[in-house]
Amino acid sequence: MEVKLLSARFDVENCNKIEVALKNGAYSVLDKAFSMEPGEVTDEVKNSGLRGRGGAGFPTGLKWTFLPKQTEKPVYLAVNSDESEPGTFKDRYILVRDPHMLIEGIIISCYAIGSHDAYIYIRGEYTTQVKVLQAAIDEAYEAGYLGDKVAGNDYRVDVTVHRGAGAYICGEETALLESIEGKKGQPRSKPPFPAVEGLYGCPTIINNVQSIASVPYIVSNGADAYKAYGTEKSPGTHLFGISGLVEKPGMYELPLGLPILEVIEKVAGGVKGGKKLKGVIPGGSSTPVLLPEELETVTMDYESMAEHKTMFGSGGMVVLDEDVDVVKLVKNLIDFYHHESCGQCTPCREGLGWMLKIVKKIINGDGTLDDVNLLRELCDNIEMKTVCVLSAACTMPVRAFLDKFRHEFEAYVQ
Amino acid sequence: MAEMVKLSVNGQEVEVEAGKNLIDAVGAVGIEIPHLCYHPALGADGNCRMCLVGIEDGRPPLVPACKTPAAEGMKVQLDAEHIKKIQHDVMELELINHPTDCPICDQAGECALQDYYQKYDGQESRMTVPQVQKSKKLDFGCGVIHDQERCILCARCVRFTRQITKTGELGIVNRTDDARVTTFPGRPLNNRYALNVVDLCPVGAMTSSDFRFKQRVWFLTRDKGICHGCSKGCNIFIDHHKEKYKDDIIYRYRPFVNEQVNGYFMCDEGRMTYKKENQDRLLVAKANNAESIISSAVDSLKNSISSSNKPVFLVSPNCSLEQMYAIKKLGEAKGATVSGFSDGYILEGDGDDFLIQDDKAANRAGLELLGVDTTKEAFESAMKEADLLVNFNNDLAKSYDAAALDELIGDCKFAMVATTQDALTEKAEIAIPAASYSEYSGSVINTDNILQMFNKAVVKNEPFDDIVNIVSRIGGDVNENSAAWAGMKASVPALKDVEPEQIPEQGLALNS
Repeated sequence: MEVKLLSARFDVENCNKIEVALKNGAYSVLDKAFSMEPGEVTDEVKNSGLRGRGGAGFPTGLKWTFLPKQTEKPVYLAVNSDESEPGTFKDRYILVRDPHMLIEGIIISCYAIGSHDAYIYIRGEYTTQVKVLQAAIDEAYEAGYLGDKVAGNDYRVDVTVHRGAGAYICGEETALLESIEGKKGQPRSKPPFPAVEGLYGCPTIINNVQSIASVPYIVSNGADAYKAYGTEKSPGTHLFGISGLVEKPGMYELPLGLPILEVIEKVAGGVKGGKKLKGVIPGGSSTPVLLPEELETVTMDYESMAEHKTMFGSGGMVVLDEDVDVVKLVKNLIDFYHHESCGQCTPCREGLGWMLKIVKKIINGDGTLDDVNLLRELCDNIEMKTVCVLSAACTMPVRAFLDKFRHEFEAYVQ
Repeated sequence: MAEMVKLSVNGQEVEVEAGKNLIDAVGAVGIEIPHLCYHPALGADGNCRMCLVGIEDGRPPLVPACKTPAAEGMKVQLDAEHIKKIQHDVMELELINHPTDCPICDQAGECALQDYYQKYDGQESRMTVPQVQKSKKLDFGCGVIHDQERCILCARCVRFTRQITKTGELGIVNRTDDARVTTFPGRPLNNRYALNVVDLCPVGAMTSSDFRFKQRVWFLTRDKGICHGCSKGCNIFIDHHKEKYKDDIIYRYRPFVNEQVNGYFMCDEGRMTYKKENQDRLLVAKANNAESIISSAVDSLKNSISSSNKPVFLVSPNCSLEQMYAIKKLGEAKGATVSGFSDGYILEGDGDDFLIQDDKAANRAGLELLGVDTTKEAFESAMKEADLLVNFNNDLAKSYDAAALDELIGDCKFAMVATTQDALTEKAEIAIPAASYSEYSGSVINTDNILQMFNKAVVKNEPFDDIVNIVSRIGGDVNENSAAWAGMKASVPALKDVEPEQIPEQGLALNS
C-alpha cells in the first residue's frame, strides 16, 4: 500500500548531507522550474490539487494566487514547521531525513510566488531537527543553491530558520508570524489575511513543510503524475503518522483515499495484542473520534472524513483499544489545549481551564451528572467564538467523546 | 461631512458613518454594542469577544463589531437569540474566575462587569470548582494598584503604555488562564499619564492609591469642569460629594472626552490638582492685619483703593476671562496699573508633545486677549511707585523668593483676594477669601486659543464669592459674568460675535 514519492530518499543513509542528496537527485528539479514562468509553476501546483498538509487542507496553489498582483512590498514565504499537534509526527521526518527536498521546495515555491525571503518556523523542541536542517541550509548556501544566484539563476533566495519557544499556538499561521516578528505568539484577527498583510505587514504565504516538500515532485513529474495517486478531490500522497495501540506504529507514506480499517490492519499490523478496536482519532488530537462502526466506511481523504463529521487534519491517527479510559483521555486532551491556549480571547482562556477542572472533578469521583452536562454545554459555548480555532481544536474532539462515549462519563459520576 | 451608509440593526434601518467600526458607527445613533476591550482611543484588539454580532448573509456570519467597518446594506443582528447567547456565555466566562468582591472594590458602581452582568448575564454562578488564584494589591508605581484576579485581560492598559505614552511598562505574561498583566521586574510604571490606566480599566483591576477606599462612586456627583493645572485646559469630570454634616469636597478628577482639546486623557499632575481645591484654602478674611468678617475686609479694601494714589492690580493667569475683565475695568476706573505678570507659572521645558504644557496657568491667552500687560518690567516699575498692591490670586511666590518679595512690596500696602492660604495671605494686610474655579462659572482660553466655558460644580457650606462679585463689591461696574461678556463683546474684536451660551461643548477655536 505504501508509495514513496516524498519519502523516496528517507531510507538513503546520510541523505541530509548534500553530497548524498545530490547523488540521489536533490536539486535536479531547479533547472526545469527556472525554465518555466513563475505563473506556470503556480499553475502546475494548482493543477496537482495539492492540499495544505498542515491540517486545514486548503489547496496550496490556490492560496498562492491570493497574493496581490501588484505590490511594492516584499513577499515572504513562511514554512510552518511548528509540528506540535499531538499524534502528528510527519514533518520531522522530512526535516531530518531529507531536508534538501524541503529546501528545493522552498526555492521553487519562492520563485513561483515572487519571494526572495523564506522563513522556516521550527518547533522549539525540535533540537535535533533544527541542527540537521540548519546544517543542510548552510550546505545549500555553500553549494550555491541558496543565496544571490540560486543554482546559477538570476534569482535570490535566502532562508532563515526561526526557532519557536515551545508554544503550540505558534503553529497557527498568524501567531507564527507574530512570533517571527518577536512578539508574543497570539493569533491575529482575520481579515486582513496573511496573503495581503502578513509578516511585517507584507504579503506572506504560509505553507506546511510537507506541502512545500511536495512541490519538487509535482514540478518534476507534472500535476497529472501527482494526481495519479489519491482521489479526485484529495489527490496525491500523504505522510501518515499512525500511533496509539497498534502493532507497528510509525510514519507511512500512503496515497489518500485508502480504507482506514485496511490501513490499520495491513500497514500498522492491527490493534496491539489482538484487542478490540474502540475508536480512532483520525487526523491529530483535534479531530473528532470515529467509532468502529463508523470506520467501516471511512477512507483516508478529506471528503470521507468530512462526511463522517470529522477531519482529515494532519493525518496523524491515534488508534484506541478497548481498554482506553475515554474520560482520562479527554482529561489529557483538555489539559493540553488549556495549557496551550494563548490566553487572548475570553472563551478559550477561561473556558478551557474550567473544562479541565470539571473533568478532573469527574475523574476524582466528585462529579455529578450536571458536571457532565456542563462540560458538554461548554463545548458549544466556547467553540468558534474566538480569534483562532484553538478552542475548537479542543471542543470538537471533546464533544465527540462526550457524545459517543457518554456512558463512560456517566459511569464516573454514578 | 463624512460619507454615510445605510445599514440595518435588528431590522431597524439606520444611517451611520461609513468605514467606522460597528461599535462606534451604530453607537453614534444610540445603539449599544457591548464591548470590554475596545476603546476608541486605543483601537480594536478583539480579545474580549463581547462585541460579536451576527451579519445576516455575511461571510463570516459572526464578526467582532470592533473590527468590522460599517458598510452599506449590512444587516447586523444584535438581539438575535444566538447573539444574546454569546453575550451571556462570554459574561459567564469573564466571571468564573473573577473574585466578585464588589463590596470592597472601588470600581463597583462604574464597572463594566457589573453592568453587563445585569444586562446580559443575570444567572447564578455555575462555578463549582476552585477559581484561578493570582496576585493582588500589586504596586505598579505612579499610584496605580493592580489586582490580577479582577483583571479581564482586555489589555487596554498595556495598549495605553505602548500606543499613547510609548513607554511600554506593562505587558501580559503567561498563557491561558494564568495570563496576567504585570511590569518588568524593577521597572514600574514611570510616565506622567499613568493614572489614565485606572480610567481605562473597565473593571476594578487598576485602582488609584489616591482614590482607593475614599468614596463610593455612586455617592459622587459628576460635574464637568476644566483642569487649571496648565494651559492645555483638559476637560474633566469633577467628582465631588457632600457627606452629611460635612462640606462638599472633591474626591477625584477624571478626563472628559474632548477631541479638540485633550482627547480621552489627562496628565497625573493635573489630575491631582483637585487637592488644592479641598486643602489649604483661605477661609478667614483679614482686615488691618487681623482676622475679620468678610464684609469688613471688603470695605477695608474698597477704602484702601479709594484712598490710594498709585494702586497696582495684579491678576492671576488662572483667573477666568470674566474675572480678568472685571478687574481690568475696575483698574481703569480707579487709575490702577493692571498687570498679569506671572512668569513663575511657566516652567520652561516641562511640557511635552502630548498634553502637558510649560505654562502652568489656565488662561494666559485670556490676559493677552484682554490686553493686560504681563511683562516683568512694567509690573516692577509700577510697583516702585505703588502705594497699594491688590493681588487677585496671583501666586507671586512662583515668581519671587521670600526676600525678593519683601523687597518688591516694601512699604506698599498689600491686599490679597485669594483662594489659598499661604505665605502671601499671611503677609497681606487685607485678605479676602474667594471661590476657586470648581466653585464658579466662567471661561478660559487655552494654549491653542480654544475658548472653553465651565460651570460651577462644588457648592461649599459657606461659599465664597467669585472674584467677579468681589470686584463689584469693592467698587467695580461688572457684577456678573453676563455683564463681563457684554463689555468684552463690545471691546474685544475677537469676542465680538461670540455668544457665551452658544460656545460648543468642544470649545470654540478663536481665530485671532
